[in-house]
Amino acid sequence: MRLSEQSRLNSQISYLSQATERMDTIQRQLSTNKKIQRASDDPSGTAQSLRYREDIAFEAQMRRNVENGTAFLNVTESALSGATDLLQRARELTVQASNGTLGAQEKAGVGTEIDQILQQMAQIGNTKFGDAYIFSGHQTQQPAYVVTGQPPTVINYQGDTGQRVRRISQQDTVSSNVIGSDAFGNIMNQLISLRDNLKNGAPATTINPSLADIDTALNNVLNVRADVGARLNRFEATSSRSADKDINLQEMRAGIEDIDLAETIVSMTAQQNALQAALGAIGRTSNMSLLNFLR
Amino acid sequence: MGLSLGLDIAVKALRAHQLAVDVASHNIANVQSPGFSRQRVLLRPIGMDGSDHFSRDALLGRTGFGVDASDVNRVRDLFLDFQARQTMSSRGEYGSFSQPLSQAEVVFNDPSDDGISNLLGKFWAAWHDVVNDPESSAARTSLVHATTTLTSRLQTANAELTQQRADLNFQVGSIADQINGKAEELARLNLQVKQVELSGDKANDLRDRRDLLLDDLSKLGDIHYVEQPDTSVSVYLGSHELVVGTAARTVNQVQDPAQPGMTKLVYALDGDDVSVSSGQLKGVLDARDVALPDLLAKLNTFASGLIGSINTIHQAGFGLDNSTGLQFLTGTDASTIALNSVLAGSPQSIAAASGANKAGDGSIALAIANLQIAPTMIAGAAAANLVVNESLSAGNTATGLSISPTLQPGSYFITSPAPGTLELRYGSAAGAVVGTATLAPIGPGSGAITFVNGATTVATINVAAGGLYTAAQQEADLTAAGNNVISVQAAPGAYYDNIVSVLGADVNRARGLAESSGMLNDHLENMRQAVSGVNLDEEVTNLNASQKAYQAAARVITTIDEMLDTLINRTGVVGR
Repeated sequence: MRLSEQSRLNSQISYLSQATERMDTIQRQLSTNKKIQRASDDPSGTAQSLRYREDIAFEAQMRRNVENGTAFLNVTESALSGATDLLQRARELTVQASNGTLGAQEKAGVGTEIDQILQQMAQIGNTKFGDAYIFSGHQTQQPAYVVTGQPPTVINYQGDTGQRVRRISQQDTVSSNVIGSDAFGNIMNQLISLRDNLKNGAPATTINPSLADIDTALNNVLNVRADVGARLNRFEATSSRSADKDINLQEMRAGIEDIDLAETIVSMTAQQNALQAALGAIGRTSNMSLLNFLR
Repeated sequence: MGLSLGLDIAVKALRAHQLAVDVASHNIANVQSPGFSRQRVLLRPIGMDGSDHFSRDALLGRTGFGVDASDVNRVRDLFLDFQARQTMSSRGEYGSFSQPLSQAEVVFNDPSDDGISNLLGKFWAAWHDVVNDPESSAARTSLVHATTTLTSRLQTANAELTQQRADLNFQVGSIADQINGKAEELARLNLQVKQVELSGDKANDLRDRRDLLLDDLSKLGDIHYVEQPDTSVSVYLGSHELVVGTAARTVNQVQDPAQPGMTKLVYALDGDDVSVSSGQLKGVLDARDVALPDLLAKLNTFASGLIGSINTIHQAGFGLDNSTGLQFLTGTDASTIALNSVLAGSPQSIAAASGANKAGDGSIALAIANLQIAPTMIAGAAAANLVVNESLSAGNTATGLSISPTLQPGSYFITSPAPGTLELRYGSAAGAVVGTATLAPIGPGSGAITFVNGATTVATINVAAGGLYTAAQQEADLTAAGNNVISVQAAPGAYYDNIVSVLGADVNRARGLAESSGMLNDHLENMRQAVSGVNLDEEVTNLNASQKAYQAAARVITTIDEMLDTLINRTGVVGR
């Protein structure tokens, strides 16, 4: 085929621009570590990579939800554990007072200790986590228990039964709170009447029923604690499953988006050679002319 | 005849080869001129074809009268021109179509760490943080930030795509100007070629210029052209004549009544619309009128879907300050979507709770966060759709719609196979049945029509009835045109991903077409150059040959001169 000067020039320009464009693409991939710069680089890969990115962010948020819920339940659990200790001490005292060996003065002393216990119970019922009274249901801006009188004459629950439900995975939602009335029943007021009976020096037969009240309350708190423990376990299991899923998702995302460094560097070297060869060939051929041989 | 004939032949040869040198020089001079076709002197012996005057010598027989070099021709292949121009049109079309699409891709900038997809993820995450701590003003404030970041990004994307359309509209005008300018010059060249060639000369360079204009016009639109017997070229753009003889018709840019703010091209002569099937004009119009509006519509559907589905839930909720009925997002589409300014000023009014005085209740916030993973209703979709708060018949209103996440996105048609029963069908009124509902009287008051598939509920339509809403009336209302379609949209994230990946595939295809038509065009350009282009080595060789021929012709004159000298000065001297 005849070659004109213009087509020779055009081909040279197009070889060079193709070679530099390829170099540019590789350099961009190397500097960003990404195969996909724009959706058009790999449309179906883009769809997958967006999906993975969304899933990764979603899982991270789920773990964040679990973390927050765990903190909430941990505060609940330590409050309930405090309540258990207090109720056990109250039980010991009640057993002492109901065996009929104590005098009126000693009973009054036990009554004073019961008074301290019930005030501490009320404090535990009004435990806060951040801005929220944790046992108030949805009424988290007011204490769960209102204490009337000093020493207390009535302690009433003023929260509701609202659950704080959060999402912990694509499929599951879990409540992270314990309702005060569920956990403590009416034990505070029962302790008040026990205290009053003790202070009045009431006989063992009057004090005795309080033992059953305390046992019921203890059982109740222990049951609630078991439920809290189960929820904490579920949080932990969900969180570790999510972390595993995250590793998988990150791997899949990287497989689609990220370059293979070794491969890219090898192809960069190949491109460099090609560009050099093209430049060399142009340098040599463009000096070739019949004019060099005619005089 | 004698020696003077030889001199005459030699002089003709001198002139012919001098012309050949001139033509070679012209070729060399134009080696880089675009559109130039190399020229050749047509050398022809005189007297050997019987038509010219010739000499006949009784003894020597017939001899020629030398060389004739009157014609200088362009070397050009008209069929290659035709093919090359077709590929130029395609190249122009796909090139100018793929460019704005690539720009649109940059507007979305996904996948990346700062694309809309990521902002959407942060938006949902901020809702979850409110669910976790509904009392926390920090969580609410960061939700306000996440929302305004997302909405302003959507507004920016909308504005940028709209601006791109305006830029393309400007480009339409500039293409019209180019078409008009080139048509005028072509008409002028038609006149000049005619004038030159009427006198018997060849208007080679004018024709080159005219062919270059045809090339340029081919890049702009699909043109047809034909050379008339009077040497003029008639050009058609689309359906109408653009250049006839020495007259140029123009195209005008006028407001397009069908598209406010956009223009269209019309033929100045009769006002008909210019419609082209390739070329830059086609590419620009396709991008301006099809691809970008489509993209904008999808972005708007996405935005209005967010607005509608979030607001429906949010308006039923209560803020920490017991405010209720507030929209979370205001606006109707991507151009106007924004966080309700009331909420921006007082984040505690964000309705996370399902009732008043429930600071610790995040159930409404959770319902909104759930939108991330559930398909939702298209808000403000086609008129045929059943929408929330639509009046079904006098006194009876659809107050709510809920869709099972198991339903894939698309349209669902309500039909009645038998009195008292409704079916929900996917895709069309004859599509697959996805759920059935058994109707029962409702009201007065509220009730629900529930579509089930086995034990699972697939869709629920909540109804408020003014009086007794009979099963027959329900059936009549819900199968009536206007109420009988429920549109289900993909979860917002999936819908957005689809916008981006479909755009990516479009850009990819447009670029591929631009590249392949470019390569085809390059190939044909090379073939044209192979015929018409100047090769310096070739010209230098020709120059050399002409120089040698010129030298030889000059030697002929010297020889004849010497012969005459012999004849005049040396003969007849016997006895002198």
